[in-house]
Amino acid sequence: MFEDHSRLEVLIDALRRLPGIGRKSAQRIAFFLLQRDRDGARLLATALVDAVENIGHCRRCRTFSEESLCRICANPKRDRSLLCVVESPADVVAVEEAGFRGTYFVLMGHLSPLDGIGPEDLQLDSLESLLGEGEVKEVILATGMTVEGEATAHYISEMVKKRNLRATRIAHGVPVGGDLEYVDSGTLSHALTGRREV
Amino acid sequence: MRVEMHPCYVLHQRPYRETSLLIEVLSRDHGRLTLIAKGARRQRSPQRPLLQPLRRLNLAWTLRSELGTLTQAEAADAVPAMSADGILSAFYLNELLMRLLHRHEPHPDLFSAYASILAALSEPAGAEAALRVFEKRLLLGLGYGLVLDHDVESGAALVSESHYFYDLERGPTKTPRPGAQTIPISGVTLNALNRECLEGELQLSEAKKLMRTVLGLHLGAKPLSSRELYRKFISERQRA
Repeated sequence: MFEDHSRLEVLIDALRRLPGIGRKSAQRIAFFLLQRDRDGARLLATALVDAVENIGHCRRCRTFSEESLCRICANPKRDRSLLCVVESPADVVAVEEAGFRGTYFVLMGHLSPLDGIGPEDLQLDSLESLLGEGEVKEVILATGMTVEGEATAHYISEMVKKRNLRATRIAHGVPVGGDLEYVDSGTLSHALTGRREV
Repeated sequence: MRVEMHPCYVLHQRPYRETSLLIEVLSRDHGRLTLIAKGARRQRSPQRPLLQPLRRLNLAWTLRSELGTLTQAEAADAVPAMSADGILSAFYLNELLMRLLHRHEPHPDLFSAYASILAALSEPAGAEAALRVFEKRLLLGLGYGLVLDHDVESGAALVSESHYFYDLERGPTKTPRPGAQTIPISGVTLNALNRECLEGELQLSEAKKLMRTVLGLHLGAKPLSSRELYRKFISERQRA
């Protein structure tokens, strides 16, 4: 429809890189920005460039951070003896909302041999050296409740146990406000195995 | 083509587009195939927790091309409780099946062999012997069944007390052809593998070596990532 390398075409192609954006939506966004919100477009452009150039990874937990140490890791009030291992920065946000007061290690993925993702891709050596610093006493394995998440948790628990530290796995069960009849049987069976004294 | 609900296992899943999954399936009646599970990654999708490997499911789908579309899914069994070794061995089995099975070729015997090995893997004792038996049945299902009952040169039945050479192209013999690629193996191991009752360290290690070499011929040069992961896991554990 447009000339191949026209600026408009380049913009539409660039917008298609966003998750969930196909050609039609990309075109709609491009037209919207050009017709109605050129200031917004400039803001978006500078914010993107700024973020890409200035956001790196925290050297302790590897989550996204502007500083070499992220806000959580740098906070002296956080309990550094508790380390929660999660798969992604989005998981950090979720666990933070749950009121966790320890610190994190973000794997940026999980072990998945069938996709060719092994321990070296999760930089488990950084986790190893973090454990070696001696501050951490307990590692909470909060990887996903998938087969890959379980495998990852088992693998890391071996690394933790050989240092004589405590490795725990988050419990899984019925969601708050959930009716048992609508809970899937897998979750319910975990909830039954993980039952506790009241 | 419409396929009604029938027993299946998910071998692997990966994200597809924004909200869907591509699942690799081992089905009882239609062999291995790939299905799109539309919307299965949505937050509230009832399929989301179901479409995991290792659990027996009933699936239904429609098939218009190589790629099918999942239409229905339900659990056919509880989630198996597996140890770390069990999960890592299951990764290995799934990788083997994905590497060796052609799509849309039914292997009902292999399906039941897969179901029984998953059950065996949830019990740590005997898991290694069960893996060798599965590999043997897998080779048989693929049409590369091992000769395990007679000397391929002399035709004589295998004697447990004797020692043999397994000629990778033909089978076990006491008198290998010159230049043939062979693996030394004892008669007792060959007989035990044939009767699917391997026991003891010697039999297990000889059977493992034989299976690894024979499977290697079919797998090609690319190493199995699940085997590599298992090796690293064991070395972590031993350092403990």
